[in-house]
Amino acid sequence: MTETPVVLGIETSCDETGLGVVAGTAMRSNVLASQVEIHARFGGVVPEVAARAHVEAVRHLAHRALSEAGVHQTDLDGVAATQGPGLVGALVVGFTFAKSLAWALGKPFIGVNHMEGHLFAPLLGDPGFSPPAVVLLASGGHSQVVHMKDWGDYEILGSTIDDAAGEALDKTARFLGLGYPGGPAIDREAENGDPTAIAFPRALPDRPYDFSFSGLKTSLITYVRDHRDAGTLPPIPDVAASLQEAIVDVLVAKTFNAVDATGVKVVGGGGGVMANSRLRARLQEEADKRGVTLFVPPRDLCTDNGAMIAVVGAHKLARGEDTGYNGDVDAGLSTPFVTSRPD
Amino acid sequence: MNILAIETATPASSVALGTDSELLAMSLQVDRRGHVGFLVNAMDYCFQQVGWTPAELDAVVVDVGPGLFTGIRAGLATAQGVAAATGAQLLGLTSLDVLAFRASTGRRIIWPVVDVRRNEVATAPYRPVPGGVIRDGPPEVVGPEGLAALLDSTADDTLVVGDHEALPAATLRGLHRAKLGRPRWPSADVLLELARARMAKGDLPAPDDVRPLYLRDPDVTINWKDFREEAGWSE
Ligand SMILES: [Zn+2]
Repeated sequence: MTETPVVLGIETSCDETGLGVVAGTAMRSNVLASQVEIHARFGGVVPEVAARAHVEAVRHLAHRALSEAGVHQTDLDGVAATQGPGLVGALVVGFTFAKSLAWALGKPFIGVNHMEGHLFAPLLGDPGFSPPAVVLLASGGHSQVVHMKDWGDYEILGSTIDDAAGEALDKTARFLGLGYPGGPAIDREAENGDPTAIAFPRALPDRPYDFSFSGLKTSLITYVRDHRDAGTLPPIPDVAASLQEAIVDVLVAKTFNAVDATGVKVVGGGGGVMANSRLRARLQEEADKRGVTLFVPPRDLCTDNGAMIAVVGAHKLARGEDTGYNGDVDAGLSTPFVTSRPD
Repeated sequence: MNILAIETATPASSVALGTDSELLAMSLQVDRRGHVGFLVNAMDYCFQQVGWTPAELDAVVVDVGPGLFTGIRAGLATAQGVAAATGAQLLGLTSLDVLAFRASTGRRIIWPVVDVRRNEVATAPYRPVPGGVIRDGPPEVVGPEGLAALLDSTADDTLVVGDHEALPAATLRGLHRAKLGRPRWPSADVLLELARARMAKGDLPAPDDVRPLYLRDPDVTINWKDFREEAGWSE
């Protein structure tokens, strides 16, 4: 197998139908049918709606991803798809489409762990990204600090004990009436607010790598109720900015606790929350202070996408690994994060 | 004309391979949750039996439902993947069509039933004609009482086929003109036979028109309830 396999990657674990083509780590195309507007009507992802939308989109997007990449499907070295974790009905669509496409083309198929996709995403922005690294994964479904010792050798140092960071943003935004998805809404509102206006709590100072956002939620409810009881309107931009600052503070502190403890020189980021401008700026500040290099992919590669699945597939193919055609999706697939490699 | 048929609308998954004149290979498995792991293995087995490569396919026909939503999507996405790789024509037929066609009877009106969960079945009436059946009313989703009422409202003798074992035992009690029959599950060999007839008529859909037949909207009210359960967040 070539060092730079050409791979089509398909991501349908949640509410984005994402397809991308890579050659090794070079992104050739990345196309997306976002369901955000559909789910905004319901204030969150409705699994059955997500699965229905994937089946409408996947065939067209495969065609577009290949034509934008200038790759004929017979020139592919393999096809990769998200195997889990995620919503089972949603996963099934991309996974079965990819498997049968690969099989009918006579190409290898690679089932990819969604979380590993996020870990590889910084490569798409900058091929210089390489372990050992500490990577912050923060999205609506997950918040983790991962010690990436090598490709394929990961240890989760910390994770959320309640809500994921993106979930906390969604819920607080909904409470403030700012709409869905919450991350971008709060980011926008915070631009005109004072991040020091309200002292929201920073949780779990005694656990160096773990997150908790439920106290923040409670504190926000109390704050807004106090205003309402007093007959005044809460200053929404200040609330958004202070809330965002509290979340960002915790994410940045836990990440750099891990950087300091492991002594790595590389920091990475992934997941939808990483599109937050304040978080990106603060991570950069801390990285500069310590002289470590920060790799955060462009915003459209932080959120779920097909290219990150393709790049994991290409990496595995280059090492002679594929999954075969027998596998099933695994909605509860745990993070592939073993502490030692089998070889 | 080389045709691949994919059937995953019920717990019985099957794949068949054949030509315009005969069935050449078939693989079947009954497992409510086993559709995804079964499909490519089964296709691989059938192609090996027949000695074809996927590139030699002219058409892929798939059961678009009604039935198990995830099974239907697994089958359709698989059919789409094979069609995309090979350029084969994509066709969709319904699980009710497949059941009624196999249940050929002299004169009874055939009512195939497919379990769509939540104590409901999908059904439609089919009238036997020489060489097959013709659908005689719209497909709909009904509970046990609804099905009994449908059967009771017709003056014809009826034959109920499909997964009637999924219905409560008392459902059809007292309906003297109704008889229970086979098959229980739609299967790929029948799908293949129907596809042949469809193609002979030149009745070829655009790929976008081959879509799941759900017969039920997604239940988003459950989602709202989840929101309300998070105290303090629904005000
Ligand atoms: Zn994700």
